[in-house]
Amino acid sequence: MRILIADDHDVVRAGLKQLLLERKGWEVCGEASTGRQAVALAQDTKPDVVVMDIAMPELNGLEAARQIRKSLPKTEIVILTLHLSDQLAYEIIDAGIRGYVLKSDCNHDLVNAVEALGMHRPFFTAKVSEMMMEGLRGEKPRELHNEARGRLTGRQREIVQLLAEGKTSKEVAVALNISVKTAETHRANIMRRLELHSVSELVRYAVKNQIIEV
Amino acid sequence: MNRVLVVDDHAVLRRGIQSIVRAWPGWEIAGEAGSGEEAVRLNSLLKPDIILMDISMPGIGGLEATKLICQQQPEAKILLLTLHDSIEWVRTAFQAGARGYLLKSDTEAELMRALETVAANRVYASPRLDSARIKSIVNDLGLVAPTGMLPSDGAA
Repeated sequence: MRILIADDHDVVRAGLKQLLLERKGWEVCGEASTGRQAVALAQDTKPDVVVMDIAMPELNGLEAARQIRKSLPKTEIVILTLHLSDQLAYEIIDAGIRGYVLKSDCNHDLVNAVEALGMHRPFFTAKVSEMMMEGLRGEKPRELHNEARGRLTGRQREIVQLLAEGKTSKEVAVALNISVKTAETHRANIMRRLELHSVSELVRYAVKNQIIEV
Repeated sequence: MNRVLVVDDHAVLRRGIQSIVRAWPGWEIAGEAGSGEEAVRLNSLLKPDIILMDISMPGIGGLEATKLICQQQPEAKILLLTLHDSIEWVRTAFQAGARGYLLKSDTEAELMRALETVAANRVYASPRLDSARIKSIVNDLGLVAPTGMLPSDGAA
């Protein structure tokens, strides 16, 4: 089994690597510290499973997962995160992710998740499954979900993250390999669509919709 | 040989820290704890040279555990490891008795640099934090580092 690890913290990657390499026949084929790096490494190495944090710079784990699932449908993804929220559960299901483990869950939960996903079986720990069931019963998360996802395209969400992280249009253009003019057009369309008038409003939108974390 | 007690409620993080520390010559793991309460107990039992501790943990948390340990053992060397990059947290951490403040977003090399600094009885703060403000906190609290490590190179 070939596994790609994506987390912006060195200590977490070191821990994950050691944990996963204890299993016979498992190999860590790459390590990424940003979502964008994870997408590029996944395309290069074609892993069986990606273990991915959500809160990463440049491109968050959810957007990275959507891109990986789109280009590599056989690659499974386990989200490993600090957070537990029903909003996130919707986002995860929507992104085609079939594994979700909390950093506070036990090490063996993560190993079991990777093992299950390696066989293309979904894996959610008991705590996560319970939270998802609660979320499915309520209407509020669905409304939030629609607000977060329905109004922007994937590309626009990527640009929102970069702008909310303080990048200029020129830096966005370089990061996404597009022209400055295209980046500016995207920026204007996003602001218009979301009815926002300043970068600080954009940052608030990004935090509220879990595109970035503060 | 410097012996480290690793305290974090996330098992994956404890594992990562241990693998980094073990690979470094002159360092070994004294033990690991998953809570502040356990850290206080294991500190008395294992007598580590240095404690590397998360701040946000269920129960008493890293700051309260730091205070308790320092009450029992004022010379304890505690390096806090956290996601909080606010300068006010640094002040609170140093007031509690910690002598180092490292961010989880810092690199492996920085982790070892922080451990080496605190183990040498010096005060350490992550280079990602505002060094001038760190220096001011260190001065306010009278934490004069014996060897005079400068904030501009990542320690105060």
